[in-house]
Amino acid sequence: MKLSYLYGWSVLLLFLLGVTVPVMAGEPEEKIKQTTDKILSILTDPALKSPSKEGERRKLIRSAVDERFDWEEMARRSLATHWAKRTPEEKKEFVHLFADLLEQVYMSKVEGYSGEKVRYEGERVDGDYAVVKVKIVTKKNRDIPVEYRLKKERGDWFVYDVSIEGVSLVNNYRIQFNSIISRSSYENLVKRLREKAELR
Amino acid sequence: MDEILRPKGSKTMKILVWISIFLIICLSLLSRPSFAEDQTSSSSPRASVFISSSGEPILVAVENRPIQSAESEESVETIADPLEPVNRAFFRFNDKLYFWVLKPIATGYKTIIPEDGRIGVRNFFSNVTTPVRLVNCLLQAKFKGAGNETVRFVVNTILGLAGLFDPAKKYFEIEKQEADFGQTLGIWGMGPVFYIDLPILGPSSLRDGLGYAVDVSLDFRTYLAIYSTIAAYANAGGWVLDKVNETSLTIGEYENLKKAALDPYIALREAYHQNRQSKIRER
Repeated sequence: MKLSYLYGWSVLLLFLLGVTVPVMAGEPEEKIKQTTDKILSILTDPALKSPSKEGERRKLIRSAVDERFDWEEMARRSLATHWAKRTPEEKKEFVHLFADLLEQVYMSKVEGYSGEKVRYEGERVDGDYAVVKVKIVTKKNRDIPVEYRLKKERGDWFVYDVSIEGVSLVNNYRIQFNSIISRSSYENLVKRLREKAELR
Repeated sequence: MDEILRPKGSKTMKILVWISIFLIICLSLLSRPSFAEDQTSSSSPRASVFISSSGEPILVAVENRPIQSAESEESVETIADPLEPVNRAFFRFNDKLYFWVLKPIATGYKTIIPEDGRIGVRNFFSNVTTPVRLVNCLLQAKFKGAGNETVRFVVNTILGLAGLFDPAKKYFEIEKQEADFGQTLGIWGMGPVFYIDLPILGPSSLRDGLGYAVDVSLDFRTYLAIYSTIAAYANAGGWVLDKVNETSLTIGEYENLKKAALDPYIALREAYHQNRQSKIRER
């Protein structure tokens, strides 16, 4: 008889826990969601729909992406062993060129958004590193698995690699850059990056 | 049982083909080439617990690599490419073929057939190749996948009008299980050996090329074509339709790869390789 009130409390507690746990997505996933939602709201904003607003739209998208993506980390990893040999000015220039190259790439994809849904499939946290798995559901009966790799810096989570259908962006560029540098030189790589930026 | 009449010569041919494939597989398994692999041999296997978005912990199969494996200074796993000059030539050929032939035809096709129809065609061809995926799932001991493929085939053929629709996915949420013999060989331990960029067919590898040959022998359409000339023509026509249809649904992807890359040949090669490796890793 005496234990009945204890039983009541524990059931209540369990119920509360049961309610809170499903709602709790981990921090890295939350961060990805925030950035994705921000970009989607820019894309679906009626005030920014007109072609004349394209420049402003791109700027807003770029700044949303800059908040979450650690370009320096990505650039460093894609240069790999060649990074250490660079001077600070070269490093700065390279990060800038790399970020611009990627902006060209994702901007056209982002602008081509036509209502695809994003399904969050879970995350894995390993100390200061995390992987967030996402599926982009297209209308063409094909789902695209995307993985974000994040690193915790200064208390916030930043993306340092994106894998689309198992293909890591950083690895892909790493092999390309390595091939160009070993065949010609780092200067040639920079030249080609600049040429590509000019083709915009 | 009535004896099935078949031309005598082809039986010997078939046996020879199977023996040679078997020998090549054995040789490749015995002499695994080692290229710049980033095996994180130092880390012991660990089980990782994914928290799905609904909050339930899902125990994923034992993962060998900690998240930031080999991402800093070690060399990245890449595919051997001893045939690079030949591959680059075929890459250029395929590039021209795409822009001069395939893309224009696919663009015309796209304007005639609405997207839903083209998705239907895609679904149809996917349904027809179920036996290939089913057998490979079994060979890979993916019994759930094999079960899924069986259910998908039955549901989509009956409810989905001979496979034009995909009610199995839409209403029952049973997803397609991709499986081919190249992947099976990879799971059994065979490396890609080296990269081959095939004319028309596109990126492949020695292993995946062999896998494709085996998959062709698992496809019932092949046997129809051997015994009937009409079926052979239908197959060829079907193959072209499938290719054009698929291109019409993915116009822009190759262009994006070229736009994003400094060296599109390497970008394609490594994308192919990494995609295959990830398909083998996901158990």
